Amino acid sequence: MGIETQLRRAITVFRFVSLGYPVVMCAVLYEHLAQPLVAPALVAGMAVWTAAASGSYVKHGFLRSIMYTDLAVTAGAVVASTWALALTDRSVPISVGPWLAGAVLIWAVAGGRRRGVIAGAVVAAFGMAFRGGPTEHTFSEAILLILTGLMVGHFTRLGVEAEQRLREAAARSAANRERERLARDIHDSVLQVLALVQRRGNAIGGEAAELGRLAGEQEAALRSLISSDSYRHPFDGQRDVRELLGRLAGDAVTVAAPAAPVRLPSRTAGQLAAAVTSALDNVRDHCPDGTRAWLLLEDQSDEVAVTVRDNGTGIEPGRLTEAAADGRLGVAQSIEGRIRELGGKTIITSTPDQGTEVEMRVPRPRRKAGSNGDARRDR
Amino acid sequence: MATLVVIDDHPIWRDALSRDLTEAGHEVLACVGDARGALTAIGQMRPEVAILDLQLPDRSGVAVLRELGEDTATEVLVLSASGESDDVLEAVKAGARGYLVKSAGTAELLEAVERVAAGDAVFTPGLAGLVLGEYRRLATAGADERRPSLSERETEVLRLVATGLTYKEIAARLYLSHRTVQNHVQRTLSKLQLHNRAQLVRYAIEHGIDEDA
Repeated sequence: MGIETQLRRAITVFRFVSLGYPVVMCAVLYEHLAQPLVAPALVAGMAVWTAAASGSYVKHGFLRSIMYTDLAVTAGAVVASTWALALTDRSVPISVGPWLAGAVLIWAVAGGRRRGVIAGAVVAAFGMAFRGGPTEHTFSEAILLILTGLMVGHFTRLGVEAEQRLREAAARSAANRERERLARDIHDSVLQVLALVQRRGNAIGGEAAELGRLAGEQEAALRSLISSDSYRHPFDGQRDVRELLGRLAGDAVTVAAPAAPVRLPSRTAGQLAAAVTSALDNVRDHCPDGTRAWLLLEDQSDEVAVTVRDNGTGIEPGRLTEAAADGRLGVAQSIEGRIRELGGKTIITSTPDQGTEVEMRVPRPRRKAGSNGDARRDR
Repeated sequence: MATLVVIDDHPIWRDALSRDLTEAGHEVLACVGDARGALTAIGQMRPEVAILDLQLPDRSGVAVLRELGEDTATEVLVLSASGESDDVLEAVKAGARGYLVKSAGTAELLEAVERVAAGDAVFTPGLAGLVLGEYRRLATAGADERRPSLSERETEVLRLVATGLTYKEIAARLYLSHRTVQNHVQRTLSKLQLHNRAQLVRYAIEHGIDEDA
């Protein structure tokens, strides 16, 4: 049930209950009424209109015509009450009381702040004009009516917006559930078949092995797609480095990482991933075909480390510094430069014919208080 | 050669696996497709090795491992297409002896079966990364003096496994014997499993769950 419906119900209850005021007043002061026959008729008319208007609001929503009539009837009741509820022994007739606010509330809920204020002002103006001018009583009544229109209109808007957001969040979470279900299904069917094709292909050899290799690549890609955490985390300026590195995994690249998200500010995570990518590019460009590479991601609370190791030909001692000195920036710039910019350091170890190991360590920026409890395990 | 039970809910995959294992000289005692069947088959046939998929239709592979507990003589090798690292870590903590992804080659699989049958842990680089991460998490998770930790040597060995070195290469690099490397790896796993069991028992006692219940 929407917030508007609930408010409408509450207003309906209020309008009927508030009729009690003129009823009680008339009963108490019955002997002093100037028009003892007309007074009950006016109150009865107000009750009939309240029922009719409320019924229409429930059935057809806030129809413009009914709302105008509602306001007109309320103003009419104010005018009529000066005569119908007049007392023989007092100069001021009985007022219709808080019932006046009913129409103002309806306008505020249906139309927001502005219309709420307008409705409040209209009713107050009638009161002031026909019930003895700007006295203390009519003045405070006017303020209360206008304030009611303003506040109720404002809070209704807030409520409706919150409701909207809640609905969107629910829709998003339903979409995520659906995606998880799809992921399970893909996992149970497609991935199994792809893995099987890869396996049998390799066993048969020849062209089939090529098919198997392709199936294997697709399996890895699809798996990283459906196990991606990105859609489970709201964007908060942080990224899970596992997700970025996971995309680099493939036939020749194996990724090892913790089970829990390794979160870094987006920019830092992106730079780190870019440095890792250039380290891998380096392996591809300078090592013979069939060279494999391994990535290890480690979360050490105050820093994040990525190690890239390959089983290629290795780099001869001095080659890197030479290249940098020659102005060929390659590794120095794209890996070390990026990491240095993040305040981290790079250690390159290499032995000819035994592959190369590039270790990149990036400090984790001090997290703001309150944002650090984001449960490294909660996924 | 080992006696085996294969647990996987995909008949085609199961058959292909079973054929490869039989061709390599192993004896496949049974192929089952769900957790209930797995527990029955392992309980009655007492195979040396069970090859277990983590995603089963009735209960998860992790649940099967928990149910088996430590009394069983069967070593479990998890073979899963799962990229869900949490599942893999839970499976290993619950007592699995090793883990391979389904895309692993036949030779790799056969070697893993033999090693698991011999009681050795089978670590892929991916699993080593998960185990390293788990120890780090335990180290920062709070002040529990009973939590396990890695020795410097164990960390070093695990990091090398995680970056793709074979035990032989690690042994050569650290001037250790192959057996010693094997033992280091083994110990990182058994410490985690022991801790996990202790936690489960503690949880059970705290929540008044009787062992027999």
